[in-house]
Amino acid sequence: MRFEFSTMGCPCALHVEDVGDDVARRALAATLAEVDRLDRKYSHYRDDSLLATLQRSSESIDVDDETANLFDFAAELNRQSDGLFDITAGKLTRLWDGRKPAQKEIDAALRVTGWHRIEWNRPTLHVTTRNMHLDFGGLVKEYAADRCAELCREVGVQSGVVDLGGDLALIGPHANGEAWIVGIKAPRAEGKAAASIALPRGGLATSGDYERALIIDGKRYSHIVDPRSGWPIEGFASVSVVADSCLVAGSASTLAMLLGIERGGAWLRELGLPHLCIDGEGRISGDIKI
Amino acid sequence: MNTNKRPSPSLSLLLAASAALVGHKAHAEETSTAPSIGYRFNVYDEDAFSGAPVIGSDKRYHVDTQQLDFSGNVGERNTLNVDATHEVMSGSSPWYSIPGPNNKPIQVLSGATIRDHRSAISASLMHDAGGNSTTTGSVSYSAERDYHATAIGLEHTIPLNTALTLGFGGSLSHDVIEPTDAEIFDRIRHAQKNTYSAFGSLSWVLNRASVLESGIQLNYQSGYLSDPYKLATVGEAQLPDTRPDRRTEAAWLVRYRLAINDNAALHADSRVAVNSWGQKSVTLDASLYQTLPGDWQIIPGVRYYTQHSARFYAPFFDANDAGSFYSSDYRLGGFGSVAGHLDLRKQFGRWEFTAGMERYHATTRYALGGANAANPGAVSYTRIFAGLDYHFD
Amino acid sequence: MRPDFRLLILLVVAALLAGCATKPVQPWERGRLAKWDMRWDPDPMQAAADDHAHFSKEGTSGAIGAAGGGCGCN
Repeated sequence: MRFEFSTMGCPCALHVEDVGDDVARRALAATLAEVDRLDRKYSHYRDDSLLATLQRSSESIDVDDETANLFDFAAELNRQSDGLFDITAGKLTRLWDGRKPAQKEIDAALRVTGWHRIEWNRPTLHVTTRNMHLDFGGLVKEYAADRCAELCREVGVQSGVVDLGGDLALIGPHANGEAWIVGIKAPRAEGKAAASIALPRGGLATSGDYERALIIDGKRYSHIVDPRSGWPIEGFASVSVVADSCLVAGSASTLAMLLGIERGGAWLRELGLPHLCIDGEGRISGDIKI
Repeated sequence: MNTNKRPSPSLSLLLAASAALVGHKAHAEETSTAPSIGYRFNVYDEDAFSGAPVIGSDKRYHVDTQQLDFSGNVGERNTLNVDATHEVMSGSSPWYSIPGPNNKPIQVLSGATIRDHRSAISASLMHDAGGNSTTTGSVSYSAERDYHATAIGLEHTIPLNTALTLGFGGSLSHDVIEPTDAEIFDRIRHAQKNTYSAFGSLSWVLNRASVLESGIQLNYQSGYLSDPYKLATVGEAQLPDTRPDRRTEAAWLVRYRLAINDNAALHADSRVAVNSWGQKSVTLDASLYQTLPGDWQIIPGVRYYTQHSARFYAPFFDANDAGSFYSSDYRLGGFGSVAGHLDLRKQFGRWEFTAGMERYHATTRYALGGANAANPGAVSYTRIFAGLDYHFD
Repeated sequence: MRPDFRLLILLVVAALLAGCATKPVQPWERGRLAKWDMRWDPDPMQAAADDHAHFSKEGTSGAIGAAGGGCGCN
C-alpha cells in the first residue's frame, strides 16, 4: 500500500506492506500527526513555531527533552565539522534563497550567525544575539522520517518505508526478508532517478542542490552556504548516504556537501557509511551498489 | 559494504548523540495492545487418593473457576486492565497423618467440605512514562468465607540501552484469616498475615530472534503463617499446625524466548528459590508455540518441579523430637512433580478461542536428591480450560 | 542441591556475556520479536491461572513481578 501526502514543502509517501487496512490507516494517521507536530514545533518558516519563540526570546529558556536532544546533536555536528554545520545560520541561508545578495547583506547576516552566539547548556538555551535565525532544516525532516518509522512499527507495521521528500526511513524489510529498492533522484534532471539502490537498513538521506540552486552569470551557486564565509559551497551536486538512521544519514550527507568535493569525499570514506556522490558534471563516485 | 567493521570515531559520536532522539522499545512487550475482553472457564480436579492408606473420604479437591478480563486504553498513555475471578471449591483436603504399620504414614482427610466460594478482583494501570519507560500500579482484593486479602503493587521499567531493559518494583499484601468452625475445632478465631515483596529484573534483546530475562525476587512474610485447618501428630496427640511467624524467601528467575522460525517459538523458564524454613525448590518449564495454517496455534509444554522439605516438616512427630514448630502439610514436604500441558488457540476475525489441558503428578520419587521424608499427601490433578477473547480493534 | 545452583549460575553468566557481545538489534529487525508468540506471557490470563494452581499446591510462591494478593489455598 502506498499513501502520498505533502508536508514540509515536499512530496512524501508512506509505503506499507503485509498489514490489514486498519493497521495501515493507523500508521498513516500516526505519520501525518507526527510530521505535523514536528513541523509546527521546528519549522523555520513559521512565526509560531517553538524555534521561532526560542530565537525571539532574550531570556534563558529550559527546553523539553526532544528539543534538548536535537540541540545536543546539532552541537556534536558543529564540533565534528569545525563549525561548518551550524543551525544558527538561518539568516544566511535565507539570504541566498532565490537571489544573489549584496556583500553588505552577507556581512549583516554573518553578524547574527554563529554557534558561539548562543549559550547551550542542556536544558537551558540562551540566545544572546538579537535577530538570530535558528534553522533545523538539516535535521528535522530526517528526524521526522525516523520518528514516523518508529511509530509505524509501534502500531504493528513490519514492512515499509517512510519517504519524506527523498529522505527515507526503513520501517522494516519486505516480508520475505529482502531489502526495499529505492531510487536516488538525479540532480538537475527533473523526475529521473540517478540510481536505484537496495535499502537494507536504517535510512537514506540525500542532500543536493538540484532543487534550489541559482545560476548567476553562468555560475552555479548551491543553496548550501558556508556559515563562516557567508558564501555558498562549490561542491557535489548531490550526496546520498545510507546509515542506521535517517538522521545520521542526513547529517552525513549535509556535512559532505559542506566540506566540498575533496574533503567531503575523504570524510565520507573515513566515516565508513555507504554513500553516493554526484558532482557538477554528473560523475558518480562512492560505494553504494547500484 | 562490510557492516562488521567497527564504526569510525566520528560515526560513533554521531550515533551516540542520535541515540537519545529516537528511542526504541527494547522488546515488543510494552507495546500497548488493542482493547480486548476475555473469558475463561477452568476446571481443577485432583485425583482421588490411591496407593497410600487413607482414613476419611478419598475424594480430593475440585475447583471451578470463571474469569473475566478487560483491557483498554485510557487516554493516550495509559492501559487499564481489570480482572474478576469467581471460584467454587469443594472436596476434602489432607488434615493430618498418623503412623501406620512399619511407620508408613496414614493420611487422614477432612470430610468433604460444603461448597465454598472465592471472589477476587484486581486492576492495574500501566502508564507510558516517556522515553519508553513504563510505570504500573496495581491493586487486588480477594474474599472467601474465611479469608480476605488486599494487595497493592508498583513497578517500573526503564530501557538502559536499545537492547537492555531494567524492571523493578514492590508489593504489599495484607491477609485476614477467620477460620470456619473455629469454636468446634478449637482453631484460632482471627489472625492476619502481611507479605512484603520486591523484585528487580533485566531483560536483553539478544538478537532478532531471541530474548532473555533474569530477575530476583525477595519476599518477607510475617504474622500467622500456619494452616488453621491442619493438624500434626506429635506423639499420641494431634496438635494444631504450628509454623514460625515469619518467613523470608529469595527466588531467581530466568526466562528465555527463542523464535525458531516465523511460525514457531520456544519458551524456556527456570526458577530457583530458597526460604528461611529450609525449603529449596527448582522449577523448569518449556513450551513450544507452534502456529499452524488457518490461524491455529498449538502449544505443548512440560514442567518439572522439585522441592525440599521445610525443617519442621514430618508426616508425624515423636513427642521428644518435635521442636517448637511442626507441620505435616504436604506442601511443606519434599516432593517432585512432572506436568504436561497442551493448549489450542484459533482466531476468527476479532474473536479468539482457546482451550487446553494440564496433567500434573507429584510424588516423593520425583524429588531431586530424593525426598528425605514420606509425603503421603502429594497430589496429582487434571486441569481443563476453555476461553473466548474479543479484540475491539 | 548445590551442584545444580552452580550449573545454573554458569548458564546465566554465559548468556549475559553473549548478550553483551552481540551487535545491537536495529529497530527494523525487531519484527519477529513483536509477534505474539515471543512475549513473556502470550496469554496473561492463562499464566495467572497456571501460577495460581501451582502456587496453591507447592511450597514456594509464584512468578516474577509484583506478588498478587493471597488466598486461603496455601
